[in-house]
Amino acid sequence: MPVDDVVLATQGDAAAFERVYRAHMQRIFNLARRMAGPDAADELTQDVFVRAWQKLALFRGESSFATWLHRLAVNVIIERFRTLGTARERFLADSEAVLEISPAARTKHLDLSMDLQTAIEQLPHGARTVFVLHDVEGYKHEEIGDILGVSAGTSKSQLHRARQTLRGLLMKERRQTT
Amino acid sequence: MTEQRQFGERDHEPLGGDDILSQAIGQWREETPAADLWPAVAARLEARTARHRRQLSFTLPQLAMAASLLIAVASGLTWLAASQPSVPVNAQPTVVAQSEAAGEVEGGIVNANFADAQFNAAVTDLEQILRDERGRLDPRTVLVIERNLKTIDLAIQEARTALNDDPANAYLNSHLADARRRKLDLLRHATTLASAGGD
Repeated sequence: MPVDDVVLATQGDAAAFERVYRAHMQRIFNLARRMAGPDAADELTQDVFVRAWQKLALFRGESSFATWLHRLAVNVIIERFRTLGTARERFLADSEAVLEISPAARTKHLDLSMDLQTAIEQLPHGARTVFVLHDVEGYKHEEIGDILGVSAGTSKSQLHRARQTLRGLLMKERRQTT
Repeated sequence: MTEQRQFGERDHEPLGGDDILSQAIGQWREETPAADLWPAVAARLEARTARHRRQLSFTLPQLAMAASLLIAVASGLTWLAASQPSVPVNAQPTVVAQSEAAGEVEGGIVNANFADAQFNAAVTDLEQILRDERGRLDPRTVLVIERNLKTIDLAIQEARTALNDDPANAYLNSHLADARRRKLDLLRHATTLASAGGD
């Protein structure tokens, strides 16, 4: 995508913004799908680009546009979790909640086709967010702490627990397929 | 061996290549939305743009700027009027009334009518509407409106006081007419905004 499209979009050019959207939509959609699940991905992707249009004037080019947009998308998705009132409590709770597989998962037979997407959906929003941001998107614990308003230590412990849970689910699937 | 012992208590560093999670992430397939999301995004942008257009004449920065301009103009004109000797009425430039309520032009000169019934009635009506509808406006917007109305009222009052000493002063008459027009405009914008459901 030409850099000029971002500049034109910043000036209110909707056609340029559509090109920006088409260039970045795939990555944002998959970020939303991984963090929030497939059911919420469409709407969150729309939310991200509507917010991006509103905030374009704040893009100063200090980082790449892709980096800026990605960070904005993470914030939009986190906001959604907080609106739902599910994320922060999970993050701040000093409990083993993240190790608990959701009731549905406990009672539902994990079929052979279960992949990482299915496994990650068994995690609470907070643990899923830390895992996706750190292990998939490459964020550092300090950055995750800044985004989520928690300490880097909390991010580390949540990642540790999320990984344990996911490994357990994936190994179980592997055992069932062999 | 438990999972925790196998991977260690400090399992928060980057994943090793042979970790089942690392392999799973590598195989995590990208997907595309089932339908093109752009039409929905474009519709939302258009709705926001249309809403913004409706409010364009009444944004907070614009109100603040209008107030600043009014103060500057009021100060400048008042100073100018006060520092200039009065000139005979017949020699003054024509002053065109800028307020719709400022009365008809007679003989090329308009003296602001302080008790203009049409102006007062319009202001009274609009202020009543604003009082009734203010609950639909954002409190910050109400604050800005009230602050600007006070500023304009102050400018009107100062112009009237100055005109008491110099009723034929063209600058002061023009300034007063302009301030009254601004007050009507502000009240109209505010009531329109409130009637539209606020910001």
